[in-house]
Amino acid sequence: MTASTTETEAQRIAADQALVAKFLKDTTLFLAPDPEIMNEHDLAPRTAEEEDALARFSDPHTISRIRDRVQAGANEGFEMVEQMGAAPGAKWGDLITGIYTASGDLALCSAGGVLIFSALVHHPIKFIIKNWINDPTVGVRDGDGFIHNDSRYGNIHNTDQSMIVPVFWEGKLVCWVASTVHEGENGAIEPGGMPSMAESSFDEGLKMSPFRVVENFEIKKDILTFLQNSVREPKLQYEDMKVKLFACLRIKQRIEEILVSDGPMALTASLRGTLENVRKEVKRRLTEWPDMSVRTYMIQDSTLRENCLIKINLKVTKTGDRLIFDFRGSSPEFTNRANNTVLAGTKGMISQLFLCFIWPDLPRNQACFAPMEVITDPCSTVAASYAAPNSQSLMSIFTVFSASQHALGKFLYSCPEKYTKVIAPWFNMINTFIWGGLSQHGETLGNLCADLNGMGGGARSESDGQHGLSPIFATMSDIGEQELNEEEVPFLQLVSKKLTRDTQAPGKYRGGMGYQMMVATKDSDQWGFMTTTVGAKVPPIQGLFGGYACGTYPLSKVRNVDVYNVMRDNPEQFRHSIEEIMNNQPFPGAKYTTHHMGMGFELSKRGELYMISQGSGAGYGDLLERDPALVISDIEEDLISKPVARRLYKVAFDEDTLAIDVEGTKALRQAEREDRKKRGKPFKEFVKTWSKPLPPANLPFYGCWGDDVSVLYAGGPHDRRDANKPKPIFMRHPKDVKIEQLEAKLLALTGKTY
Amino acid sequence: MRRVSVDIGGTFTDCFVVWDDKYIEAKALTTHQNLALGFNEALGKACSELHIDLEEILSGVDSVRYATTLGTNALIEHRGPRIGMLVTAGFESTVPLSRGRGYGEGLDDLGKADLPGANRPDPLVLPHMIAGIRERLDAVGDVVMALDEDDVRIQIRKLVDKGAQALVVALVNSVVNPMHEQRIEEIFLKEYPPQLLGAIPVILSHQVAGRKGEYVRATSAIVDGYLHSTMYHALSSLEQNLRAHHYEKPMLVIHNSGGMAQLNSTDALQTIHSGPVSGISASEHLARECDLGNVIATDMGGTSYDIGIVVEGGIKHYDFNPVIDRWLVSVPMVHLVTLGAGGGSIATYDRMYNTVKVGPQSAGSDPGPACYDRGGLQATVTDADLVLGYLDPKNYAGGSIPLNPRRSTRAIEDALCDQLDLTVTDAALLIREKVDDNMANGLFTELRARGYDPKEFTMLAYGGNGPLHACGIARNLGINKILAPPMSSVFSAVGAGNMHQLHIHEKSLFMVLYDSNTRKIFDDYSRFNAIVSELREAGTQDLLRQGVSRGEIRHSLELDMRYGNQLVQTTAVIDFHEVHSASDVMKIIAQFSNDYGKRFGEGSQAPEAGIRINTIRVAAYVQLQTVKFDQIKPRAVGERLQPPAPSSHRKCSFVGQSGALETPVWLKSAIEPGVEIKGPAIVSSEVTTYLVDPGWTLVSAAQGAIWFLRDAT
Repeated sequence: MTASTTETEAQRIAADQALVAKFLKDTTLFLAPDPEIMNEHDLAPRTAEEEDALARFSDPHTISRIRDRVQAGANEGFEMVEQMGAAPGAKWGDLITGIYTASGDLALCSAGGVLIFSALVHHPIKFIIKNWINDPTVGVRDGDGFIHNDSRYGNIHNTDQSMIVPVFWEGKLVCWVASTVHEGENGAIEPGGMPSMAESSFDEGLKMSPFRVVENFEIKKDILTFLQNSVREPKLQYEDMKVKLFACLRIKQRIEEILVSDGPMALTASLRGTLENVRKEVKRRLTEWPDMSVRTYMIQDSTLRENCLIKINLKVTKTGDRLIFDFRGSSPEFTNRANNTVLAGTKGMISQLFLCFIWPDLPRNQACFAPMEVITDPCSTVAASYAAPNSQSLMSIFTVFSASQHALGKFLYSCPEKYTKVIAPWFNMINTFIWGGLSQHGETLGNLCADLNGMGGGARSESDGQHGLSPIFATMSDIGEQELNEEEVPFLQLVSKKLTRDTQAPGKYRGGMGYQMMVATKDSDQWGFMTTTVGAKVPPIQGLFGGYACGTYPLSKVRNVDVYNVMRDNPEQFRHSIEEIMNNQPFPGAKYTTHHMGMGFELSKRGELYMISQGSGAGYGDLLERDPALVISDIEEDLISKPVARRLYKVAFDEDTLAIDVEGTKALRQAEREDRKKRGKPFKEFVKTWSKPLPPANLPFYGCWGDDVSVLYAGGPHDRRDANKPKPIFMRHPKDVKIEQLEAKLLALTGKTY
Repeated sequence: MRRVSVDIGGTFTDCFVVWDDKYIEAKALTTHQNLALGFNEALGKACSELHIDLEEILSGVDSVRYATTLGTNALIEHRGPRIGMLVTAGFESTVPLSRGRGYGEGLDDLGKADLPGANRPDPLVLPHMIAGIRERLDAVGDVVMALDEDDVRIQIRKLVDKGAQALVVALVNSVVNPMHEQRIEEIFLKEYPPQLLGAIPVILSHQVAGRKGEYVRATSAIVDGYLHSTMYHALSSLEQNLRAHHYEKPMLVIHNSGGMAQLNSTDALQTIHSGPVSGISASEHLARECDLGNVIATDMGGTSYDIGIVVEGGIKHYDFNPVIDRWLVSVPMVHLVTLGAGGGSIATYDRMYNTVKVGPQSAGSDPGPACYDRGGLQATVTDADLVLGYLDPKNYAGGSIPLNPRRSTRAIEDALCDQLDLTVTDAALLIREKVDDNMANGLFTELRARGYDPKEFTMLAYGGNGPLHACGIARNLGINKILAPPMSSVFSAVGAGNMHQLHIHEKSLFMVLYDSNTRKIFDDYSRFNAIVSELREAGTQDLLRQGVSRGEIRHSLELDMRYGNQLVQTTAVIDFHEVHSASDVMKIIAQFSNDYGKRFGEGSQAPEAGIRINTIRVAAYVQLQTVKFDQIKPRAVGERLQPPAPSSHRKCSFVGQSGALETPVWLKSAIEPGVEIKGPAIVSSEVTTYLVDPGWTLVSAAQGAIWFLRDAT
């Protein structure tokens, strides 16, 4: 064969390939999430316009001035959404606004709010750019607005809705602005927008790939009506679409003012220059970290439907200016459970970790996480496939967050220049009530209590954690005012904010504690609650450097009682703590039960009690080193009981005056240290007795076991899988399981099958 | 009119005396150990100028009015009594948890973003001084659980035994039904009657704040309780001082609501920020008298930059949940934003962007800027101003603070020059540009968030550094007119002299004007009218108690309204106070829609989601005679006077100009009204420096007012 023949053959093959590619493109049945977009979190390559702009506007001071104005615009938009928004999420800080480059990269977002939203919205923008701009049936024009909520196209879960607005200047697209809010209700199988009962994505409510819903700056009524018709709260759907649109338009106006004063090139240079500067700084900071690997894991103790052990496995490796998050060995995805997350959610949450807990001084944009690398198994619960439901992705992304926070604490400890304090893991679960039904005003509602924002802070290297301070996903968020809530919903929080005694995570410095909540429906016959967290049996976080994890927090219920009658007729029976009610069982004839925290939506009767507690951040350091004065202070504030102070912290004190017996404490602690030595074993011996070759048979376990991440277990030692050859995991309906158990009991009792 | 008004600040006590047609400005250092001494000194200076003795003035004036930052300082310095607190059982941690976000209230963006470093401020009530009381009311005020009076007695006793020096009672839903709070007060007074030595004041939350929100109301009551004795003793001693000097009338205290009242009708909380609020009030009065249109009032001092908005049509901008120090409260206060930008703001190198960062850290007044030569080593805005030639090192602050330019040069070199590869002058220009940008962004956000265009405003610039930076700030905003107001050295005291007696009463409620579910329009007119009437009467009684006659009393009505289930409460000012028909309701809805559209954008209104009133607020006030400003509008171009010969020249560098420019300098005392001076130029006085940038023209006006007008391009 001659060279020219080979060349001709190659040309023919190339032409064939191009034809086939064109045919396939022209005959695409469905524009599913694009892996090319969804797997990429680094900055888009510089465009020709950006090259040109950066060449012409290199003065950092001009860029800085424009950036400040863009930032002011984002902040203004944020304030508008927070003020005008109708969703509890908007009112209490679960929102964000951002400005994106023409290529879709997040350049700056508002100073307040939930960063992960903005870290994810670049995906749907890139989808719009790739698929809609040049599509004759869609297109992108000035005055358009695109809505989106489907996490598979770039989101946490589909309870969060975004409005995305392009900004044009003299006919040319110069950037995008977007606003995202945790809206709550989305028409899913359960009210409130985060259904744990969802067994497929079709149970999860509205799944909006990015589409145009605004033309000529007005919301299209036909589409609005369809969306309102698809959810339980048509009023909320309408109000917040409008709010997000007007916030975007306000930010757009600010951008246009910059375009008038400085021109599009200066804006482009400022947005791109900001991203590149931050990326460079991140790389520089990484070089200061020690080269090493840290391995850790977190456990989810349920799928929210059944108890089980779901492993989030992590190895973080730092070499030079590279930082690699390796999640291989984590649990495979669940085919019919909603606690999976797409890969973008995993990355978004680690990005959040960097911006709020590692380098809070950095500008809030996509470049902060851009240089990091993430490795996962295919179809992992931390990188789920298209088919897997993910409305409860928080379970996975929050444990991803905590595993990452736990590992990075060890890097930061050894890092010479710190940008904030070294901290033990923050509490990571949204221990709150999701609610829904018919309100006392006749409105159908579905949403949640802002108490999800009250997670306890982790202990620091030199001080205790802060109680109920903030969720891991936002700053300056709010746990709300109960008086305002009670105006709109038909239940009372009979205990609303009361720190839960003896639930702290001990350490030299203890974690900040959570508080208990006790709710009961009052003024509606159609009202119910659900809870959607893990951590009722296994703590979802770990302590740092010898500090302990938090305790576990179950759901407690009291049925067959109307506590409002009790409070009216026998008020002396009522008690204001879960501890007293569950231990003393003060209401005659009532039924007292405890449960895991994955309670599916349940209609409640008037006066029945549902009781939960927010959780504590993890402890830091050895509890025997805790200053006895701090222990006594915790007793005075009713954070711990006296027996706990003695038993756990080994502090000797006077029962009445709480005066510390210094010598007695020394002796108690010395004795405990001696006991530790006696209880201790050489490491090899410990490993021999502790380490088992296989996961237990009596506990459903998911993930790798030991160091070998190539094999995953899916329910126990009997189900081994090659990590690279995913297979479905179908969980049985808990009611079927229960029926089967009851039928077996009946069979045993009666000898008959029914 | 004869009147004395005083603004007692952290450093100076400013005094403004109106004696018939004479307006006298006087200042003295604040004497923290006994405020009366500073007051007497300042007033004594005014007396000398008038050639009248102090007793004669005090016996001859119609009123003496005080604005003071005393309360703010007491909070910052954490000087207050040990407070005991009773709350609804089950809400014991509401205050300590501070809605989660309390860690960041009053901090800058970085403080808010840094969660590992987050610390709540030291509490005003220690957690173990908070006790839960067995009682519960629901959202409409019905009793869910009756008050357990025995429990009340036990908990009070425990708190007193633990050393409570003041008692705050903050029960859930007490604003819709105060009976449990009132009953606790009765029980307490019976157990601890006020005639006992060491009597403990009791503060009921519903009396301090009338709106829903158990946390913000509790905080309001706590701050009030915390400041109560400090303010009471300080203000009482001032009143005694007045009595000793033959002042027989009631002493009036300026409130942060923009009004004033007698001492015995003043809550401590109402005095916080009353000084800056008086400045905004003076701006409002000046704008109205001199027909200035929309005005943005700015006060740039050594550490902070206060911003207030005054617009035509009398719309007041209030904060209904202002942050005082680090505490979120729920008393209506004239909207005031404070940015961390002043002469003492520190400039540092911004490594990430290879540029300069200014603030929010400040060198304050101690050690102060490097040029103060008091040990400060960091480069500040004042150091940049000195390097650029704007300040006279020998005559800064009337010569009271000698400046050392070498210190400024060294500080800027150390902080910036090497990293940025710039000369000292260029680095100083960058500092100047950055701080002006920061302030312009703050102003921009303030105005834009309320739907206003900066170009439609006149900027009022006062405070020691205001006229020095005004042109730079205005340039960034597209503002063409700046006014350094008359009597600017005591401008807040002037504002105090113009206040009216005013009391605000408000009520939280759930009043649906349009129900989107049933599509019904509000028709319970008697309920609306009864509430308005009750609030009007409460304000009327406040003023009657102070000796005002009923005929002089005026009322204004405001409604906080919202669409659907929003958080925002846009305030609509309603000019009729009774509702009798659907058309009246429609007028309210239309007014709300108009105000909402202005703020958030026309078309953003969402009446389809329903319309509610959340708060009804009535201000009762009496209009008193006010200070007269002369006509201070700048003369027409052809009528302006030539300036006298400048007293000196200095080389000054300006943003956007290459090389230093020979800049003429005048003393303000040499400039008569109507004089025009083209920039670049400097006019200096004992209290400030008026810097005229190239492209701007200074025009002097009556009563010492100075205009900066941007040249037409």
